[in-house]
Amino acid sequence: MDFLKSLGIAASGLKAQSGRMRIIAENIANADSTAQTPGGDPYRRKIPTFASRFDRELNASVIEAGRVRRDPTPFRTKHDPGNPAADARGEVRMPNVNGLIENMDMREAQRSYEANLNMVTATRRMISRTLEILKA
Amino acid sequence: MSLTDLPLLGMLRTRMHWHQARQALLAENVANADMAGFRPRDLAEPSAASTGLAAPVGASVGGDGLARTDSAHIGMPASAGPNADPRRFKGFEVRPSGNGVNLEEEMMKAGDNQADYQLVASLYQKSLDALKIAVGKR
Repeated sequence: MDFLKSLGIAASGLKAQSGRMRIIAENIANADSTAQTPGGDPYRRKIPTFASRFDRELNASVIEAGRVRRDPTPFRTKHDPGNPAADARGEVRMPNVNGLIENMDMREAQRSYEANLNMVTATRRMISRTLEILKA
Repeated sequence: MSLTDLPLLGMLRTRMHWHQARQALLAENVANADMAGFRPRDLAEPSAASTGLAAPVGASVGGDGLARTDSAHIGMPASAGPNADPRRFKGFEVRPSGNGVNLEEEMMKAGDNQADYQLVASLYQKSLDALKIAVGKR
């Protein structure tokens, strides 16, 4: 039945967006995670990606969270000689996480999630309308 | 002749199948709303010929899908009629990642699709009710 196909595709979208949300949460939580050793690398921002896959059972292309990639942009530095992670010049390397970007990304993920949820609701309403034919 | 061979029910069933298939396509568009390089797809409107309705002999079918059997009939142009959908933009908005999905547009389409489906389902139910009246069950 095609309605189950719609539900399956929308569910794959929900899952992919919540996976993206998880990675964004990880980035925000680690926004201040410095290295443990002096001069070491701090947390590097993760970038969620999506991959399209053809599902033979559903006979439709569904979406899933793809490989997580690392952001290659340079780290921020902060002058903090007292920090255990500071190098010889007293500079501490901070993660390349930008709170503003993560926030906007989170909003986008939320919006896409709601859109997918909307598709589920609409499809369910159509299914129940079909079943009402039997009731009359 | 079985019940399902009735032309009216057959047409309604075809239409319901069409809405089901369209719902699946719209769900795919929404699910891929953040996929790089994805272009949204939509189903073409079924034509009168494919639903089993043949235009009368000598009639021309206008853009509104209605047959014109007399020269005095006023037809509508295919694109500018009041039933033309102004939301049906082609490649209206494409993001730098190559993704062309516009979530608002998809939501509108999903709402339209749902309302149309419910209309067809109601018509189907009414047709069955009419048959029940004919066999004296009501």
